[in-house]
Amino acid sequence: MRARRRSIIAAVGVAEIVSVALLTLAFVIPFATDDPFTHSVANQTLIAITAAFSVYIMLRMDLLTFAVPAFMAIGGYAVALAGLRGGVTDAVVLTALSFVVPALVAAPLGFLVLRLRGVYFVLVTFVLTEILVLVIFETPQLTGGSNGLVGMPPVVLFGLSIADNRQVLAFAVGITVLAAVITAAVTRYFRQHFASIEENEVLAQSLGLVVWRYKVIGFVVAAGLSGMAGFLLVNMLLTAHPTSFSPISSVNYIAYTIVGGPSSILGPIVGSTLLVWAANVFSIQGEYSQGLFGLLIMIAVTVAKGGIVGTAILLWRRYGPAWSWNPVGRRGMPAGSARVGP
Amino acid sequence: MTQAAIPAGAQAGELRVENVTKRFGGLKVFENLSFTLAPGDILGVIGPNGAGKTTLINVICGKLAPTSGRIVLGGRDVTGKPVHTLSRMGLVRSFQQTNTFRPASVRENISRAIRFSGGSDESWDRIEELLRRFELSLRLDDQSDKLPYGLQKMLGLLLAYVTSPRVLLLDEPAAGLEGRERTRVDDFVQHARSTLGCGVLIVEHDMDLIRRLCPCIMVLDAGRIIAEGAPADVLSRKDVIDAYVGATDEVAP
Repeated sequence: MRARRRSIIAAVGVAEIVSVALLTLAFVIPFATDDPFTHSVANQTLIAITAAFSVYIMLRMDLLTFAVPAFMAIGGYAVALAGLRGGVTDAVVLTALSFVVPALVAAPLGFLVLRLRGVYFVLVTFVLTEILVLVIFETPQLTGGSNGLVGMPPVVLFGLSIADNRQVLAFAVGITVLAAVITAAVTRYFRQHFASIEENEVLAQSLGLVVWRYKVIGFVVAAGLSGMAGFLLVNMLLTAHPTSFSPISSVNYIAYTIVGGPSSILGPIVGSTLLVWAANVFSIQGEYSQGLFGLLIMIAVTVAKGGIVGTAILLWRRYGPAWSWNPVGRRGMPAGSARVGP
Repeated sequence: MTQAAIPAGAQAGELRVENVTKRFGGLKVFENLSFTLAPGDILGVIGPNGAGKTTLINVICGKLAPTSGRIVLGGRDVTGKPVHTLSRMGLVRSFQQTNTFRPASVRENISRAIRFSGGSDESWDRIEELLRRFELSLRLDDQSDKLPYGLQKMLGLLLAYVTSPRVLLLDEPAAGLEGRERTRVDDFVQHARSTLGCGVLIVEHDMDLIRRLCPCIMVLDAGRIIAEGAPADVLSRKDVIDAYVGATDEVAP
């Protein structure tokens, strides 16, 4: 009886540990190859993963957000402005800025829009992104308007100027690992709160959970992570431009998460890696990719609700060796609701 | 019925409903309802379907705001406070349907209820007895929605209990249960009353259960209290029987 003492691994989560380890391994890429195509795909993938983490956090509470590009833009422009106008080049300061500025915007906003549920919340987040792009176009004095902000000074980390492709990629790996740690920390620490909101908000509330508070916390952290992704994007292009944050790109981040597997932190990582790679290899960036991603979302939600990771776990449990260690730690889960971690 | 002494320190748990009216647009659900539920009291609320019983619970627990009137808990006006605040103050409800965190285990369900209500690990000791009586002790690791219906309802009651409420609002706790399971509701209510000293308001259609449990009942019909008093007296009144005719045949004088 009573609450079980859990091991540290169980508390942190197997999938969370694997995720951070996998991303840390990515430090090898910039030093293993000089191929600019590989560097570019890896960079895009890391940006996608960081952005998809924020979709993942919101989905923990059964909230679908289209506001990822909006907060990416806020983070990206905050960094670009700090660099261009303020002369700030310190990587630690800029990283903090890219997280904090969108988070500060998200707090009051979340207080307002998180009262909405289901499709209404989805709509408002989409409109939010539309509005933000409009604001960027309409304020050329501040944001450069349709020209964007060009000519940012290179970021400096502990005295080292991050200028060449290899360094930029290594820096992106570092930021993505940090994003994974933040995502893991928040989703594991508030695991019960988020899961209760997802599973039965009414019951959670009647047992005393202050539901809106945890929704705002999730929204704020998700906004901060999007901002970090925006920073990476701006740092890769050395330009902050409104087209980088188009409202329709929000579909991509949702696709990465849902196709990869919305119930595990591994989902956004696997989904982003696969889809960004596919889009580059088959040269289907631009108009076709959204169509393909839309199709993949449809397949994922109708046939394989757990996405790639969820389905893999399900198949492993059904057909894998009976003696194998069960990394899921839950039994009797219905198809499609597979969840990594106890 | 044994009326064990209620623990001291329960005085702050008096619930007063004062002239409460609830309308949805032009539809009047009930008007000028007033009653008091003292700590340790068990009040049965009966009435035909649509009489406003569940809406009454929704208004008391803060899910719906009353159109007019006041809800007073322990001398404090709590009208219009949100559900989670009232829950933290000790006003906790159960639900008519089975209501658990479905994919989570029984243990996880209870652990969440303890955490959300600001309880500690000691809360587990207090429910050991109930877990044993409901035969849930050995099913702590079962997924909650895989439990039989009756046990899911009992788990719902347990979740409310483990938050240490001062007032329990039970919405048809026996609905859908078979005979043997229904006595568990009796057990639960008596246990909650004697260990927590809480007041209990029960909305129920099972007249036998109401007779066994409630020294005092209130009959709601079309948003009015048409009768109040001891079950034996109230249930033999002609207007009460009339209100129930066609609705249920469970009322036998």
